[in-house]
Amino acid sequence: MSEVDFECAECTNPVEPFLRSERMPHIWCPGCGIGTTVNCFTRALIDSKANLEKLVVVSGIGCTGRVAGYLKLDSFHTTHGRAIPFATGLKLANPKLTVVVYAGDGDLSAIGGNHLIHAARRNIDLKVICVNNLIYGMTGGQTAPTTPEHATTSTNPYGTFEPGFNLPHLVDAAGAVYVARWTTFHVRQVARSMQEAFKKKGFSFIEIISPCPTLYQRRNKMGDGLDAMKYYKQASKVKNGAPTGEVGLTKTGEIAVGKFVDRDRPDYRELMVHRFHESLGDEYVETGELVCS
Amino acid sequence: MAQMVETLEQQHKTDETALITGSEAIAVACKLADVDVITAYPIRPYDTVMQYVSKLVSHGELDCEYIVAEGEHSQFEIVKHASAVGARVFCGSSGVGWMYAMEALTVTPALRIPMVAMVGNRALDDPGAFGVEHNDALTVRDLGWMLVWVDTAQEALDTALIAYRVAEDRRIFLPCAISCDGAFLTHSQALVKIPAQEKVNEFLPRYNRGDLLLHPDNPITVAPQVNEDWVMEIRRQNYAAMERTTAVIKEAYADFERIFGRSYGNPFFEEYMTEDADIVLMGMGTLSIPMKVAIRQMRKEGKKIGFVRLRWFRPFPAEALAKSLGRFKAVGVVDRDYSFGSPYMSGVVTHEVRTALYSAPGPKPPVLCFICGLGGREVTLPDITRMTESVYQAAEGKAQPLTQWIGLRE
Ligand code: SF4
Repeated sequence: MSEVDFECAECTNPVEPFLRSERMPHIWCPGCGIGTTVNCFTRALIDSKANLEKLVVVSGIGCTGRVAGYLKLDSFHTTHGRAIPFATGLKLANPKLTVVVYAGDGDLSAIGGNHLIHAARRNIDLKVICVNNLIYGMTGGQTAPTTPEHATTSTNPYGTFEPGFNLPHLVDAAGAVYVARWTTFHVRQVARSMQEAFKKKGFSFIEIISPCPTLYQRRNKMGDGLDAMKYYKQASKVKNGAPTGEVGLTKTGEIAVGKFVDRDRPDYRELMVHRFHESLGDEYVETGELVCS
Repeated sequence: MAQMVETLEQQHKTDETALITGSEAIAVACKLADVDVITAYPIRPYDTVMQYVSKLVSHGELDCEYIVAEGEHSQFEIVKHASAVGARVFCGSSGVGWMYAMEALTVTPALRIPMVAMVGNRALDDPGAFGVEHNDALTVRDLGWMLVWVDTAQEALDTALIAYRVAEDRRIFLPCAISCDGAFLTHSQALVKIPAQEKVNEFLPRYNRGDLLLHPDNPITVAPQVNEDWVMEIRRQNYAAMERTTAVIKEAYADFERIFGRSYGNPFFEEYMTEDADIVLMGMGTLSIPMKVAIRQMRKEGKKIGFVRLRWFRPFPAEALAKSLGRFKAVGVVDRDYSFGSPYMSGVVTHEVRTALYSAPGPKPPVLCFICGLGGREVTLPDITRMTESVYQAAEGKAQPLTQWIGLRE
């Protein structure tokens, strides 16, 4: 049950009704991009007139994982890496819900990496928002599977040597039906992509490159939050429909952004229902919404 | 150049003193032990070790393979296999990270892998908390892990060296987890004596897996499916190895004293102001810090009270502890853990102490359980005073609740 009060008289900002103000101040550092993504998310909810009674936000652990606790929506701050399995359970039990997974790159692609590829393969109808700060933020800036080669981290003080994941390519290959990438500089595009994902049936993945001034920017001498915006502005190149194999990130090079994948294929539930109809014929009764008294 | 060589040689021979945290002390121990493979995955408060290890590796001070794995499960699996092929390994985690590795943690002692791990003790989720609780490390207490709790950075460093020595002893080949209380030890600095490399080399022989080494020249199968035909015999081997640990730990501490010139006295538990004590409080880890302060204060008020700090939880020093605790009129165990639904709903350490004491011949003073300091909550002087009062009442034969939660918000 959503508690969002759009009539909120004391609210000074359209985003405010969505936030649990009693939990402020939030933990995010000055210049961090996660708050910007939340702003985009709430705008996407407003603009798409999303039915908040039917929307759930599931987050993992880490700096981005805190989003679930700050939003005045039905939300769950689940175990590290398990946002997708939790969301899968929600969606299977209650197919009418719009299930948003809001998590960081570490949570989604490291400890939860297996779930990411399987959910994309099954085409579970989830909207995955991946805030990618290229590092493990909350625990002190260790090398993550997304850290670009040569970047300095607390576990690679002289630069990483492991190749990082190209996440759009990974989920595209696994079968996602909607894949986009933006940075926190692209606030309108992020909000628009979110709206598209809300409408899309199947596994949607939006990667948002987001600054971590405290641990990533500082160690890599990339300045503060504002410098990150300047870099994103200068380095980003819109490449809608680009083959995802070509959109990998480097430490200081071009950031390919845009909508890379938008295709249709039956989602997990459709396939399941189809299969049961095929084998059981009229005996199969489709279950609908889970009614909780 | 000649001068530099001389300096390095000198360094090799002399002890040094440094202001370092408990986590850094563990990293320094890894360097001194010349560990071959280290894996990590970030979780607070254990993650601090990762940073120190990274620095040592990056600066070329520690020549080891170091991987930040994609989760704790793979983290512990990687070192487990590295150990099977003869590498000295180090690993660690905290709280739910340790729990996530549980499958690997289960098979490690069963495969007789002498892994040394550090647990930066942390409350298990949910609700989320970064502070110390001991339930994380305690979950492996029945599986064949040796478990030791330390209370200072110095003890962390020394115990890590001792842990390698004992774990890699051919008579043992069992993993050992060193528990360091999150924040109170992992993050606080103290002056630590760093022993000379030469002494460490004398104390700690190279890891030699002998005929259990997984190597093309030594074709063996590790972890075959044996079903009911052999499971009991294999479990019994673990039992026998654990039984031998007490003697091997004693040997290691005796050698430690001989080589490093420092002694921990009784390796298994420390006694503080117990000689003439009527009652004692007991606990593990950094609880000793507020405890010792409180006891000194209460002694000034004429209360004859002491403190017993348990170091080794596995092997549990049952006989020695029963003998020691039998001297007092009553005992209060402070559990930084819980065991819901267990007898009298007491904590894990209390159960072990009661079993040790009540199964041994000799006097059987009452043992009260105090659940205190969960999730990193401080154990304060008023808390300790309350516990002491209750233990005194029990000593006088007045019935007291067997389990009490102390420092709980009213
Ligand atoms: S550590 Fe980095 S990602 Fe986390 S809140 Fe701070 S700036 Fe943001």
